[in-house]
Order: sequence, then structure tokens, then C-alpha cells
Amino acid sequence: MEVLRNALDFSDFPRVDLCVAALVASFLLIFPLFHFSSFAMATMIQFLMFSLYGMGWNTIGGYGGQVDLGKAQYVGIGAYTTSVMLIRWDVPFWVSMPVGMSFAVLWSFIIGYPLFRLKGHYFAIATIATSLVLKDLFEVWDFVGAARGLEISPIKYHPPDFLRLIFKEDVYYYYVILGFFFLGIFYVNWFRKSRLGFQLRSIKDNEDVARSLGINVHWAKVKTYAIATAFVSLVGSFHACYIKNIEPEDTMSLDISILIALMAMLGGAGSLWGPIIGAGVLIPLKSYLKEWLGAKAGLVGIDLIIYAVIIMLISAVEPRGIWGIVEKARRRRSV
Amino acid sequence: MTLLEVQALTKEFGGLRANCDISFNVHQGEMVGIIGPNGAGKTTLFNCISGLYPVTSGRIIFDGRDITRLKAHEVARLGLARTFQVYAATGDLTVEENVMVGCFLRTRSRSQAMARAKQILYDLELEDLSHYRVSELPVAAQKRVTMATALGLDPKLLLLDEVAAGLNPNEVEEVMANIKHVHSDLGITVMLIEHVMEMVMKISHRIVVLDYGEKIAEGDPQSIAKDPRVIKAYLGERYVREHGGKLSPSS
Repeated sequence: MEVLRNALDFSDFPRVDLCVAALVASFLLIFPLFHFSSFAMATMIQFLMFSLYGMGWNTIGGYGGQVDLGKAQYVGIGAYTTSVMLIRWDVPFWVSMPVGMSFAVLWSFIIGYPLFRLKGHYFAIATIATSLVLKDLFEVWDFVGAARGLEISPIKYHPPDFLRLIFKEDVYYYYVILGFFFLGIFYVNWFRKSRLGFQLRSIKDNEDVARSLGINVHWAKVKTYAIATAFVSLVGSFHACYIKNIEPEDTMSLDISILIALMAMLGGAGSLWGPIIGAGVLIPLKSYLKEWLGAKAGLVGIDLIIYAVIIMLISAVEPRGIWGIVEKARRRRSV
Repeated sequence: MTLLEVQALTKEFGGLRANCDISFNVHQGEMVGIIGPNGAGKTTLFNCISGLYPVTSGRIIFDGRDITRLKAHEVARLGLARTFQVYAATGDLTVEENVMVGCFLRTRSRSQAMARAKQILYDLELEDLSHYRVSELPVAAQKRVTMATALGLDPKLLLLDEVAAGLNPNEVEEVMANIKHVHSDLGITVMLIEHVMEMVMKISHRIVVLDYGEKIAEGDPQSIAKDPRVIKAYLGERYVREHGGKLSPSS
């Protein structure tokens, strides 16, 4: 009961925040009624997906301060589990998604246990390495289609198929991911107030102090890493049904890992709204840059340049991202 | 009853002996001061006892259990809490949230942790500061917050590492009142490293003096103040001239 109450209780935020949040939430709920272009719809779905990736990343990377640049491997595990189970055994999404999550969490324990002996940059680099190794393994593994990947062909099914999550119109996908998005917010809202959330913030600040407060630092990190993983794997499973065509180079690339971390940091690592703000800024930007500047003006790779500039700006101006700037301005006004 | 036994503790960093063959006991309900010049190995001793450093040799017995090889978080769970010299508290969190981090050791429930934190802050007369971020507070208040956080662990023994250093006389009084409360009202055994002699001589029952990693003296404050080795190593002639006649643990 207390868990539920904490998840639904946002009362420690200023009223302005809650008003803005309510406005955004209602806009998201009625967005499909406006009948924007399919491009806008696809961008919105991407926004919701990346918000969820970011929320997951934010638990370990934001509250815990452990910069993880290997989230793509868990996108892959979720996406592949769902694809393989659907294609080979016709297992519906609602079964394969938790199965994929369990695989991802299991894998996160296997690599998280040794990796969290490392700190700072060494940890970040090690996460990149494990993610790339897993990607390479998938590229030569015939059972999962090797480098060609897997394709879910929608003609075999009768959309709208709510069990297998096979739809013709994007609006169905939109509402499914929007549901997960709201659940994700409630979860993180609980997490940040939970014992683990408090322990993690103490760890981020000073590990020796955390230890002497009775916190098993290593285990707390491993546990939180598993939570972050579960988020990412869930969206990976959704990604498989939504995109219907997954291949290692695309689904598990380093770009995805970096984008996830970058968005959370841009928006504000270690805050509830940060990853959502980050995704809200970066995803439309990314889509626009790719669609117009990339494809039409022939400026391929411009999005990468922009990311690099953003990384430099965050580290130079405000390490706590956009949300950090908002909070700073607020505190200045209240003084 | 003996709460803490340190037996022939030695800690080496490479060739440097930071603690050399140190032995002493702390009894239940005592207040023990650790003094000595900078670099004498006082903080290293605390780090060894609290499990942050693995010891080179010797044994540490706490509450009847050998804790020599235990990790810091396991030691904390047994009821041995500490504060840090330089570190203040998690600046990002409010005072109350900081104390809650400590309280969460004994409960999973947020509301219980919060209630306990409020109680501790009330006891230490910090409740007015509950909702400030720690980074916004003066050093004296930050140090008292770290004490409050440590109390959240419900410790049997509390190690305080220079809680009064760098504070003005009024602030020292406040900290001293907190320590007295912890010791007499809550019945927690206290060990404190301190350079503020006026305080440590006044409140300690017993004092252990370290110099170059070795224990050079141990005894009640009066005899420590008269010990020629302690005067030579640490107190200095002037201190004894000014304070020598009027030292007593209870005044």
C-alpha cells in the first residue's frame, strides 16, 4: 500500500511543475486526435520510447551516478527475445516481453557483478565493450538470423492483434507505449523515494560514507543496474513489434547506447523529469535532422556533430542538464 | 562491559606504518577521546575500526564479535557508526533526507524512516533546518547533520572524527551539547577524535594519545594533561600553563 501511495504521490514538486506535467500528459493523451502526419506520429512514438530508455538509464546513471554506455545490449536482448519467440513459436508479446526482461536482468547480473568493481570512466568503457561484444555475437548467431537479423512479417497475422502487438496503424502502438510511459513515471517516482533510491544518491556522493552507513554499495549498484535493464529490455521488446525488422547493427549499435545516456544527461540526470525533457528535445531534433538535413540536403552525419556539441555544452555549462538550469534559476529567485 | 577491544592493531600503507601495535579497550557507556598531532594515525585508526581499511595485523572485537575482516557496511549493521572529518553530508539532499539515508538501514518503509529522522533531528535541535539542502548550511550545521545521520543507524558505538574542528566557540558548545545528549540520554558509547582540547578534555572519561602511529599514553584527562610525553608530542607547554590546574572531566 505504501509503495502505491509513494508511486502516485508527486506532492513534493512545486505546483508549477505539476501543472506543466498535467498539460503535457493531457496533450499526449489526445495527440492522435489531431491527425498529424505519420512522420509526427512516428516521432512521438520514438519520443516515448526514448523517454522510457532514459528513465531506466536515469536510475543507475542519474540517481546512482554510474555512467552506463552499454544499454543497447539490453535493447537487443528484449527485441530478439520477442522476435524469436513470435516468429518461431508464435508466442505473444505479453509473454515474450517478461521473458526477455528476465534474460536481460540475468545478463545484467552476469556482467554487472564484475563490472561494478570498476569505477568512473573504466566502468563506462567496460559497458561499451560488453555491449559491442554481445552485438558481435548476435551478428554470427544463425539462430537469431545473424547479421541479416529477423523480420516479423505482418501478413501472417490479423491486425489489430493486441496479443502479439501487430498493428497496421501507428496509433495503436502509440497508446501502448504511452501506457508504459505513464507506468514508467510512476515507477521512477516510487524508486527515487525508496530505500534503494536514497542509498544510491548517497553512493553517488561518496561511496565510503555510504559504506559506513551500512549500505552494501556493490549490491545496491548491481540491483539498480538490473532495474535499468528491465526498462530498456521492455522497450526493446516493443521496438521489435513496432519496427518489425531488427538487426544487430541497427538495434544494438553504440549510437543507441550513447543516445540514451545523452538524452538523460541533457534533460537532467538524477531528476524525475530529466530524461523526458531530454528525449523531448533530442528526438524531434534527431528526426528533423535526419529527414531534412540528412536525406534532402545530403548532410549525412550532421546529427552526430550536433550530439557532440550538446555533450560539450552540458559539460561546460551545467552538468545537471536542462533541469539543472531550471532548478538553479528557481533557487536564485527564492533567495 | 567491554564494547570495543582493539588488540595490537597495525596498519601499513606500503612501507609507511600509520598504526603500529595499538591496543586499547572501550567500555560500554564510556566517552573516549583520541588525540594526537596531525598525521598521528587517528583517522586511519577509525578507518580500520569501521572496516573501510583492511588491517595489516591485529584484531578488533566489537560487542563480542571479531570484526577485523568484516566490510564497512557489515560493521555498520552491527551497530558501529561513524562520521567523517572532511566530508559533510550529501549536499544534494535535504537535511531530513540525509538522516533518512541512515534510518533506512533499519527499515524498508519510507514513512518509518521519515518518522525516525524527524525524531533524531528534534533531539539534536536541528528540526528547523530539516528542509534545507545540506550544501546551503554552514559547516557547523553540516557536521551536526552527519552526526544525526549516523544516529539513524541506531548505533551502540559512535565514532566522531573532528566534529568540532574549525567551529567557533558557540558552535562548539552546540556540538558538545549534541554529543552529551547522544552519550547520556541515548546511552550510546562515544569515541571522538578531536583537536579542540577545551572540549575533549572536558567531556572525555578517558583519553588515548597517538603519535607517529603509536599509542604513547592512555588515561583520564588530568593525568594525560600532566604526562610529559603528551606535553612534548602534542599539548605544548603553553596549554598546560593555561589550563593545567583546572581540568576535570565533569566540569
